[in-house]
Amino acid sequence: MKSKNGAKDFGMFALPGMFCFFAVVIVPFVYGVYLTLTDWNGVSKVKKFIGFKNFAGVVKDTQFWTSLLLTFKYVIVVVVLVNVIAFAIAYLLTRGIKGQNFFRAGFFTPNLIGGIVLGYIWQFVFSRVFVSIGESTGWKLFEVSWLSDPTNAFIALVVVSVWQLSGYMILIYVAGFMGLSEDVMEAASIDGASGFVMLKNIIMPLMMSSVTICLFLTLSRAFMVYDVNLSLTAGAPYGTTEMAAMHVYEKAFTSRQFGVGQSEALILFIIVACISGLQVYFTKKQEVEA
Amino acid sequence: MKKEVKKVIAMGLAAALMTTMLTGCRFGFASDPDDPNEEEETIPIDTSADTFEYDSSLKGTSITLLNSKAEIQVALEEMGAVFEEKSGVHVEVMPVTDGDSPYTKVVSLYNSGNPPTMSILDTTDVIALAEEKAADLTNEEWTKEATEYLTEVNGKVYSFPLCIEGRGIIYNKAVIDEALGEEFEPETITTLDAFVELLDRLVDAGVEKPISLAKEDWSLGAHHLQYIYETYDGTSEGAQEVIEEIKDGKLDLASYDRMSDFLDMFDVLKKYNVAKGDPLGADYDEMAIDLADGKTAFWFNGNWAWPNLSEAGAENEDEYGFLPYFLNNDADDFANQQIQGSPSKQVMLDGQMASEKEQAAAKEFLSWIVYSEIGQQMLVYTCNVIPPFTNNPYEPVDPLSRDIYEKVHEGKAFNASAIVPNDHWSVLGAAMQKYLAGRSDREELIASIQDYWDEQE
Repeated sequence: MKSKNGAKDFGMFALPGMFCFFAVVIVPFVYGVYLTLTDWNGVSKVKKFIGFKNFAGVVKDTQFWTSLLLTFKYVIVVVVLVNVIAFAIAYLLTRGIKGQNFFRAGFFTPNLIGGIVLGYIWQFVFSRVFVSIGESTGWKLFEVSWLSDPTNAFIALVVVSVWQLSGYMILIYVAGFMGLSEDVMEAASIDGASGFVMLKNIIMPLMMSSVTICLFLTLSRAFMVYDVNLSLTAGAPYGTTEMAAMHVYEKAFTSRQFGVGQSEALILFIIVACISGLQVYFTKKQEVEA
Repeated sequence: MKKEVKKVIAMGLAAALMTTMLTGCRFGFASDPDDPNEEEETIPIDTSADTFEYDSSLKGTSITLLNSKAEIQVALEEMGAVFEEKSGVHVEVMPVTDGDSPYTKVVSLYNSGNPPTMSILDTTDVIALAEEKAADLTNEEWTKEATEYLTEVNGKVYSFPLCIEGRGIIYNKAVIDEALGEEFEPETITTLDAFVELLDRLVDAGVEKPISLAKEDWSLGAHHLQYIYETYDGTSEGAQEVIEEIKDGKLDLASYDRMSDFLDMFDVLKKYNVAKGDPLGADYDEMAIDLADGKTAFWFNGNWAWPNLSEAGAENEDEYGFLPYFLNNDADDFANQQIQGSPSKQVMLDGQMASEKEQAAAKEFLSWIVYSEIGQQMLVYTCNVIPPFTNNPYEPVDPLSRDIYEKVHEGKAFNASAIVPNDHWSVLGAAMQKYLAGRSDREELIASIQDYWDEQE
C-alpha cells in the first residue's frame, strides 16, 4: 500500500508545496547568487560575468561594515531584552493573576500593527510628544528629540523593537508555561525545590523548546530589521542608525550598485543562517522530555 | 452572569481603544489638513475652444502613464479622462506609491515585461534609462516650444519637460511687513549682508528665529548643497563642468569660492533657524504651519511646498515669494539676484515594448498638452504646475508658482540643474545633517564631499 501510492501521494501533497517553494524561494535565491557574479545594473539587457569583483566592492564599502557592526549590537540588545522581558511577563501571566487574559491580549496588540505604522507612530511620540513633555516639565531627558542624537536614536529603535516583538514571544512562552506538567512541579516542590532552584533546574529545561523557537524568531527578525528602521529613523541622524538590511537596499536602489548590494545581501544571509543555525543546534541540545 | 460582565467590559475596552486609535491622530495640529468642510476651489476649464487635430486612427488605443508626482495624481486622471473623451485614446494613470522610488518602480516594471507607455521621472532617471529604453523624441513639434528646457542625451531628446520647479528662500510678506511696520521690498535685498541685516531687524521686532530649515537629507543634500555646482555659472553645462573638475581633482573644494560662499549662507540660515536648539528634530509639517502662522518669516524650499502651506492655512491671495540663495556681498553676482528654476519632472516614452500605435497615441497626448487649448489650461490650472512651454498663455495661480513664473519671464531665474549620481542626496545629505547639527566642521564636510566624488568612477 505504502509503496504503491508513494508517487501519487507525493504528487498530490508535496508537489504543489514544493513547486511554490522552488518558484518563490529557491529559484530567486540561486538567481540572486548568480547576479552577484555579474555587472547587471537592473536595467540593461546584457549581464557581463565579472567574477568576484562585486565582493571586492563589498570589502571597500566601509559603511556596510559599520552598519553590520551596528546590527550586531542591535541584535544582541534586542534578543536579550525581548526574551528576558517576554519570559518574565509570561511567567507572571500564567500565575493566575486577575485579568491575565486581558493583559496577554494587550501585550500582543503591538504585534498586530505593522512595523511601518508602528515606526511612524513612535516617530511622532519621540519627536513631538516627548519633546512637548520636555518643554512643559523641563526634564533634560526629553529636551530634544531622541531621534536627532545617534545614541538616543539607537535606543529609540531598540525600545520600539522590544515593544513590538515582546508580545509575540510572550504568547509562545505562555503556551510553554501552560504546557508544564503540574505533576512535575508538585513533585519538585515536595522534593524541596522552590524559587530560583525550581526555575533553574526544573522550569528552564522544560521550557527549552519554547526558548529555541523564541530565540530563533527574535534573532532572525532582529537581523533582518528593515520596516521599523525605515519608518522610525530612516538611518537618521546622518546615517548613524542604518542597519544592514537597509544599507543593502540603499546600496542597490539608491546608489544603483545592484551587484554590490546583492553581494552584501548574500553575505548578510550567510551570517544570519550560520548564527541562527548554531543557535538552534545548541538550544535543541538543551531540550529535555518531561 | 460573571461571563456576561466580562464580555461587556471587554467590548467596552475594545470600543474605547478603537475610538482613541481613530481620533488619536487628530489633536496637536494647528490646522486640520483633512477638513471635509473645506471646499476646494478649482478654476473651471474652458472646453469650448479646441482646435487640436486628433488622429482618428488611434481611437480605442490604450496607454499607461506612470506618475511619480503624487500631488498631481488626481489632476492627471482628470486630464486623461478629458483626453479620452476628445481623442478616444484611453490613458491609465498609475501612481508610484509612497516609499517606492520612481526609478525602482519603472525598472521593476521593465523587468516584469510590462513597462508603462510613458513614465514621469526625474532628470537623472531619464538620463540613466534613455538610451536603453526610451523612444527618440528629437523630431517632435513641441521641442520648439521649450528649447531652453530640453534634456539631451548624446544630442538626442528622450523626454518631455512636464514642469519647471524652482527653489529659494520662501518669504511670507505679510509677516515681514507687520514686524517691520513698513512695506517689504524683496528686490532690495541683493547681498548676504543685507539679508542678515533684515534678519536682525526681524529679530529685534520680535520674530525671534525667523527661518525654518528642513533637516531632510533630500533638502540638505540636493537642494542646498547643489548650489555649489549650479552657481558655477548658472547653466547645466557649467554645473557638469565643475563636477568633472571636482571628480578629476582639478578643483580644490577647500579653495573653491562657491563652496565657502555656500557655507557662509548656510551658516546664516543655521544661526537664525527656528529649530536651532535641535536642528535635526525639526518637523517638516510644522515648518509650513510656522510660516503660514507668522512664527517664522522664511523657509528654504521650492514651489512644491505650496500644498503644505495651503494646508497650513495660506491662501492664493497671500503674498509669498522667493528670495535668492545669497552667496556673498557682490550685488552684481547673478546668484544674489536670481533664483534657481529648471525642469524637474520629465515624461519618458517607452521605445522598447510599446507598439507603434501606442507610441503614436502617447505622442499625441504629449502634443495635446502643449498645443490644445484644453491641455494647456489643464496643465496649469488642474495640475497646478509651471509650464516650460512658451506658447502656453496661462499663468499659474498659487503665489509660489506665480513668483517663479514671473521670475522666469523676467529673466530673474537661472536654469541650471546638476546631474549628480543618484545617491548624492542621501550620502552627502547625511554629511550636511552632521554639519547642520554642529557635529562636524567645514573641513570635515568638504572632505566628505571630496571623498564622495573620489569614489565615483
